[in-house]
Amino acid sequence: MNTDDLIRTLGTDVPPVRRGTLRRRIIGGIVGGGLVSLLLIGWTLGFRPDLWIAMHGFAFWMKWIYTASISLIAIAATIRLARPDAAPSRLLWLLLVPILLLAGLGIGELAQKPARDWLAMWLGGSWKLCPWLVLTLSMPIFIGLLWSFRRLAPTRLRATGAAAGLAAGASAATLYCFHCDEVSALFVLTWYSLGILLAAGVGALVGPRFLRW
Amino acid sequence: MQLSEEQLRAWMTAGLDGDAAAHIALLRALAPMLRNFYRRRLRGAEDDIEDLVQETLIAVHTRRASYDRDRPFVAWLYAIARYRMIDHLRRQRVSVPVEALDEILVSEGFEDAASARVDVARLLAGLSPKQARAIRDTHIEGLSIAEAAAAARIGESDVKISVHRGMKALAARIRGVRP
Repeated sequence: MNTDDLIRTLGTDVPPVRRGTLRRRIIGGIVGGGLVSLLLIGWTLGFRPDLWIAMHGFAFWMKWIYTASISLIAIAATIRLARPDAAPSRLLWLLLVPILLLAGLGIGELAQKPARDWLAMWLGGSWKLCPWLVLTLSMPIFIGLLWSFRRLAPTRLRATGAAAGLAAGASAATLYCFHCDEVSALFVLTWYSLGILLAAGVGALVGPRFLRW
Repeated sequence: MQLSEEQLRAWMTAGLDGDAAAHIALLRALAPMLRNFYRRRLRGAEDDIEDLVQETLIAVHTRRASYDRDRPFVAWLYAIARYRMIDHLRRQRVSVPVEALDEILVSEGFEDAASARVDVARLLAGLSPKQARAIRDTHIEGLSIAEAAAAARIGESDVKISVHRGMKALAARIRGVRP
């Protein structure tokens, strides 16, 4: 096809694109994938029976705010990287804020408990499963983001994959809070973060292949 | 004829609002720009170049949601063109260095868009007048140290120190300005 014909064909399909479409598309991918993850939790793991009571306590919100803040920072970075002329982003330094806050709470925990309880507190009841569940639950959200990117134009594919994986992992962990009944800051800091990092790693690994256009 | 950033951006914005005629005008204007862009950088067959032009036009069309109306249009365009070119080279398994986006914007005649990314004037305004003048004279106007010293009626070592301190402050500021 010659270029003039191509332009004429493209010109027959010019739907309006509102301001903020890129942002809405990324968030749409996350929400769509997140609903699938939520259904998976409901069907296979089950929501914690004391969810309502837990929501009146400190531990639940500590976990939730930790994962949700990481998720928001990662989503912001993903939105930036969806533009072709994205400059390297320093946004991810913000991640230090939730991490250091949670580490501070962890040190407080250690000070309160005798040393013989430390290991049990750190490993909780689900350390072997937690990172893998977070990683598994992040997959629908990551796939949702791949859908978002079909009309966007990332040019740093590995960084974009990592940011999308981080966003998917942290969003999955935020939903996983509705199942998990661990209460220790050190547990969350280690095993939740490990699951989120695994998701970011998978994203960085597959980004150049799946985000290519 | 070189079209201006303003004209291209106006067409792009109208296209985003659903104006098909503006969108077609934009794509028609982009085709020769992209042809020049690829010809200058790839000494390949004309067929390859026309394929790349078409692929880029399709990307501009299907991925226009990735354009931010508040940012320079040509930076967005050449970022897409650069990506398509790298992808093309990768498919052919050749590796050649490709200029950074800022250099592309300058070599394609859009210095404004390039400098909009780092606004020199705004950065200099944050320095002391002496440092700003020393840097502007020696690094932008191209005066020698001696000429700059005579023009500002200060010593040569004073100019050198002002440039040095000012550059240091600028470097620190750029690190802070770029989010």
